[in-house]
Amino acid sequence: MARAAAPSRTIYVNPRRMAATLKDTGMLRSASLALAAFLALTAAAVAADKPTLTIYTYDAFAADYGPGPGLKAGFEKMCGCTVDIVAADSSIGALRKVQLEGATTPADIVLGLDTSVAGEARATGLFAPHGLTLTGLSLPARWTDPDFVPVDFGYFAFVYDKTKVKVPPTSFEALIKEPASFKVVLEDPRSDTPGLGLVLWIKAAYGDRAPEIWAGLKPHIATMARSWSDAYGLFLKGEADMALSYTTSPAYHAIAENNPNYAYAEFTEGFYPQIEIAGVLKSSAHQELAKQFLGWLVTPEAQAVIPTTNWMYPVTALGDKLPAAFPAAPAKVLSLDENAITANKAAWIEEALAAIR
Amino acid sequence: MPRSADATLPHRPLRLAGGAAIALAIAALIGTLFWAILHAAAGQAATGPGVDLGDLIYITTLQAVLSTGLSLLAGVALAWALNRLRFHGRGLLIGLFASAIVTPGLVVAFGLLSVWGRAGWLGFAGVPIFGLGGVVAAHVLLDGAFAARILLARLDAIPAARLKTGQSLGLTPWTRFAVIDWPALRGTLPGLAAIIFLLAFTSFPIVLLLGGGPAVQTLEIAIYSAVRLDFNLGLAVQLALIQIALCAVIILASAALAPISASLDRPAEPRWRDAGWARAAQWLVLALALFGFASPLLATLLDGIAGLDSVLAQPAFWNAVWTSLWIGAVSALLTLALALLIATGRAAASSRLARVLLGAPAYAYLAVPAVTLSLGAFILVRDLGIGPVVAAPAVVVIANALLSLPFAMATLAPPVEAIARSRGRLIRSLNLGGWRQFAEIEWPLLARDAGLVVALGFCFSLGDLGVIALFGTQDFTTLPLLMVRALGAYRTHDAASIAALMLVLTIAAFVLLPRLIGRLADART
Repeated sequence: MARAAAPSRTIYVNPRRMAATLKDTGMLRSASLALAAFLALTAAAVAADKPTLTIYTYDAFAADYGPGPGLKAGFEKMCGCTVDIVAADSSIGALRKVQLEGATTPADIVLGLDTSVAGEARATGLFAPHGLTLTGLSLPARWTDPDFVPVDFGYFAFVYDKTKVKVPPTSFEALIKEPASFKVVLEDPRSDTPGLGLVLWIKAAYGDRAPEIWAGLKPHIATMARSWSDAYGLFLKGEADMALSYTTSPAYHAIAENNPNYAYAEFTEGFYPQIEIAGVLKSSAHQELAKQFLGWLVTPEAQAVIPTTNWMYPVTALGDKLPAAFPAAPAKVLSLDENAITANKAAWIEEALAAIR
Repeated sequence: MPRSADATLPHRPLRLAGGAAIALAIAALIGTLFWAILHAAAGQAATGPGVDLGDLIYITTLQAVLSTGLSLLAGVALAWALNRLRFHGRGLLIGLFASAIVTPGLVVAFGLLSVWGRAGWLGFAGVPIFGLGGVVAAHVLLDGAFAARILLARLDAIPAARLKTGQSLGLTPWTRFAVIDWPALRGTLPGLAAIIFLLAFTSFPIVLLLGGGPAVQTLEIAIYSAVRLDFNLGLAVQLALIQIALCAVIILASAALAPISASLDRPAEPRWRDAGWARAAQWLVLALALFGFASPLLATLLDGIAGLDSVLAQPAFWNAVWTSLWIGAVSALLTLALALLIATGRAAASSRLARVLLGAPAYAYLAVPAVTLSLGAFILVRDLGIGPVVAAPAVVVIANALLSLPFAMATLAPPVEAIARSRGRLIRSLNLGGWRQFAEIEWPLLARDAGLVVALGFCFSLGDLGVIALFGTQDFTTLPLLMVRALGAYRTHDAASIAALMLVLTIAAFVLLPRLIGRLADART
């Protein structure tokens, strides 16, 4: 992106701050200030010298089908800025890109990382505290993260076709007891986030028993695909009875395809959430604008874009604007400590892979 | 004749220099990519996680050896059958077979599942498609038919006079193969073997899709994980170098072993049919190939019908078609130019060592892990201070041209060498210059093969944008990327239709381009 490579380095005029300044100063000087502000704003509009907010994210988020275009249009209506959404092939790819670019990165925001890599992202020291007071969020747990703002979330789950699987397994242990012909398709934890999510899910549910669960799953694993799309494609083709996906996947089929036959298996162990996050980079020249975007991102207006474009839950309650096909939150939600994830991720992945190798 | 022919090689210092310059440039590019990554890794602590390398290398090598051996076997048998048989739709079928290798691997793997998967047409047969067998089957499917296409060109180029002599001697089908066909094929086999080995060794999405779990995987996943998950660039470079070193053994062996093929002529209508059992065997091979190779591709086409309307109505689709077409055309011409420069340079070299050195870098590029390529390209373009939006098309064109270069070399190098050897005396006695040698002797004989190279280069460039994965250019979309995006947004029907349309485009390119360019050359002479 030329825009990304050469971001406009104009000084940003924050309309809100400008208005506050106008209030504080005396009437005498306000006229000239207002004139200056007016001139500045018009000039910005006329010369298209608006600040550019550059957001790095993953490909599907930025794609035409994804939430990117809707969020861009929504924020541009009110920010007096240009939003430039730059897609890397994956969210982790977007983070690596910023790490390689270092302080000279054109990015202001990295969006789409999730809570399983939050600790690692924080440890890079590239992200600035968001400084926002986030209230009224509707998340699996209270949000206290000082650096990252939640974007959307989902629960990892095994999705199946109700016309083919009449009685789905109700837990990992029940899945293990299915006949060997009952197959699931997974994602490789080294190449895709749901794969890593399953490693964490099993760890959160079973702790030290995790290798035993993985070993039990082995005969049921049709394959461990490189990406969610490969895995889900295999499942839709009928190569497996269930695919590791999200509790919200059936909503896609119900809404976009008018096909009510898909469901997710209720597991009694509880569900492990994936919360996608966004953070402002310390190196950003548009700190205020970037924070303004993150603040806007959690408003109902912005969140209304999420459900039917990213097929995830919004982080703010939308009431009846959330399509009815989205299932109610699971009764039991599991969690793991961020520090524990960061410290043990590699070992847990290796432990899981070793059990099924 | 080839042994004593070196003395008759025309003296072509410019050709040698041209070939050497390209080979050096490629070697330098690979070196620079690695240097860029190491440079970026300089600040990192070099802690490597315990990757069990021995195991990974063993399973990767086993899989690659099986894939290579079976692909060549299938390729020779199919080329033999196709060379002898004439039937309606033969040209289309040859185009279909050749198209497999340039079709995105995932499309072929999904096509394979449409036939052999548990919900596939032949699912009742219960063939275990996941595991080592499935991975090898997919690779044979991709590479075996391609090998057949290349080998068929060599059989079709056997001089008519030799066939006439053979026929008058009443050779049996077996002796005919051993005495006439085999010498024509064996110059091409080592190069093909190297390519197929490299493709199988570095295969990644197919291996994970069909591998059935972490027991079957390749070094590439370890490299990918080192770059992406652990961001351990030092380890990634180490692993990549191990991969290149292992592949280099194969590349050098194949380059050193390759004998020089000496037979070349324009394809002639065959009047010599094998009789009896051989003919039956040829039809059997063809039937098996049709079933094995064509059915997954046919399944891909049929799967694509459902979403066709929706795809054709999308402006994004037509945008991607346009981008794919021009990227494909430019990199195809670049591929042809590079291949001709290297091949003619190599043919002008009289020492074996020089030929090996000239050819090896082109193959080495194939051994560089994809994720390393994309990482290196990103850092390099950034260090050079070029904006990614400007650099992206150029990087894609170059990367795709280099990716198809080994295939182009396998296609062009043997006939170019055959010309240099068999017509060297003629060229010298006519005192032709290098350009007239090319325009009047080589090009007319090479045009059809050149057409095949253009088709290859063109279709390969529809195939992969992996090299600019980090560039962040979502406006720069080609058909394969559009397909992956549709698949990533639950739109499996759209994805299937795009896959089918790509396949149609690919087959059309393989049927039409060699004929078109062959005809252009014929019209001129």
